[in-house]
Amino acid sequence: MIDISNLSFGYKKGNLLYKDLSLSLVDGNIYGLLGKNGAGKSTLLKNIAGSLFPVGGGVSVDGMIPQKRLPSFLRTVYYIPEECFVPAITVKQYTALFGIFYPDFNADQLFVYLKELEVVVPGKLSALSFGQQKKFIIAFALACNTKVILMDEPTNGLDIPSKTQFRKLIASVMNDERIIFISTHQTRDLENLIDQVIIVDSGNLLLCASVDEITSKLHFETVSEIPSEIKVIYAEEHLKGTSIVRENTTGEDSRLNLEHLFNGATQNPQLLKQIFTAKKQQS
Amino acid sequence: MNDVLDIKRFTWLLKKSVLEQPALLIGLLAVTLTITFLTYAIVQSMVGIGKAQLSAFILGFIVGGSFMASSVFGYFSSKSNGVSFLLLPASHLEKWLCGIIISGVLFVIIYLGFYRLIDLFFVSSYQNNLDHNAINYQTLYNSVEIFSFNNSIVRVVFAAFFNISGAMLLGSLYFNRVSYIKVSLLICTIIIGTYFTNLLFASFFFEHIDLAVPFRNVFLKVDKEVGIIDMPSSPAKAASFAIAYIIPAALWALAYLRLKEKEI
Repeated sequence: MIDISNLSFGYKKGNLLYKDLSLSLVDGNIYGLLGKNGAGKSTLLKNIAGSLFPVGGGVSVDGMIPQKRLPSFLRTVYYIPEECFVPAITVKQYTALFGIFYPDFNADQLFVYLKELEVVVPGKLSALSFGQQKKFIIAFALACNTKVILMDEPTNGLDIPSKTQFRKLIASVMNDERIIFISTHQTRDLENLIDQVIIVDSGNLLLCASVDEITSKLHFETVSEIPSEIKVIYAEEHLKGTSIVRENTTGEDSRLNLEHLFNGATQNPQLLKQIFTAKKQQS
Repeated sequence: MNDVLDIKRFTWLLKKSVLEQPALLIGLLAVTLTITFLTYAIVQSMVGIGKAQLSAFILGFIVGGSFMASSVFGYFSSKSNGVSFLLLPASHLEKWLCGIIISGVLFVIIYLGFYRLIDLFFVSSYQNNLDHNAINYQTLYNSVEIFSFNNSIVRVVFAAFFNISGAMLLGSLYFNRVSYIKVSLLICTIIIGTYFTNLLFASFFFEHIDLAVPFRNVFLKVDKEVGIIDMPSSPAKAASFAIAYIIPAALWALAYLRLKEKEI
């Protein structure tokens, strides 16, 4: 379990990006962290990984403090940065030099994942394209079998087929003990993959809810005319009508549209908060 | 599980550090040794073996050593590489020790070993090429000896090596980009600043100052007469001790604290 308690963080003194952020991430879930560029997604992941330190409050991962960067903590967490680094060595050398630090690393799994992601490494890793390097690091991270995997914009640089393969692979490695936390500003890349949604903007937590909770509280539909009597969080006109995100007052099922949810959350945060708070109070 | 120092994990880390970037560390060592050899050969042919021994030793040891110290934590020149290093499951102590062992122990052993070999080669070649029938053969033969690693000049070179390498190691953890140049400039600024501050203070006490060497002595010149005023023995010894041991130890230790607090 990842417990973020009253986290405050800023790159400059007196200019906090996060102030008193509290959040709990539970085992067995794939979390999608959505936010605009510069919203603080990478910062949050780095605070969890231990490469940045909170200025107030704290983060704990299964009771361990990331800031201490103890080996017993680091071997349970794998952080994939947006821009990956691979040295000028072969896959075999990489696994021998890096895999050994992770007690549950499985080289056979690595080759299976590389095959699934269609990564062929004829020579040195550094000779691969950016996308191929990124897929290699994703495969390696999954083969390390760490309990927590933090991914910062993992689909950046991946082509369309690779994004599909990525989603399939993530879904296949998920289990009840793992937490996978994926940040992205490309909401469509995470659709049908995540089961928990976290939206941040300018260091503020706008939403943290499961997909089930979201679809029970919000309704996503396309209408010819926007009804006046209901609370509409977001509306977007297109050729077939207007897609809206509104409060779900009738308990109808609808398919979550992450992009519309994200736009609604960032454009209308107060209304979103009101709906989720009110519903929580009712339940 | 030992979260402070695990010998097995430390061995993995040391192996990784060397083999992950062989072009950098092994290449840098190879360049240093080559430059030392060439400097020795060129200076010997120009001004003689005695000066060649010292100049090649100083150049290779200090410049090569400082480059090595600056490169050993070179991960931070790229954010992703820096994060990968910081989050690798090894302790701060192991990561720091790895840097110390590579730049402060392995480099020194390899360099001194190599230097001894080339020195043996050049000295024996010089002595073998002397004319055995010359009148001053014995004098010339004895004028050149194997370079001693235990004399006052070498001790100063060692002190300079550990100070500069410590500063380079620490600087590479503060400056993510072009740390070698930034630290070099900083060292020059400190040396020049110390010299002029010392000169300023010396001018409060003496007139006719010709030269004021910080922590050592003041040269006074009146017309053509030169007099030297040495620093009293006990503060001079304390200053020498601080420069030879305390400052380098502090620099290398601060690198550990900086690594522990490093964020990226």
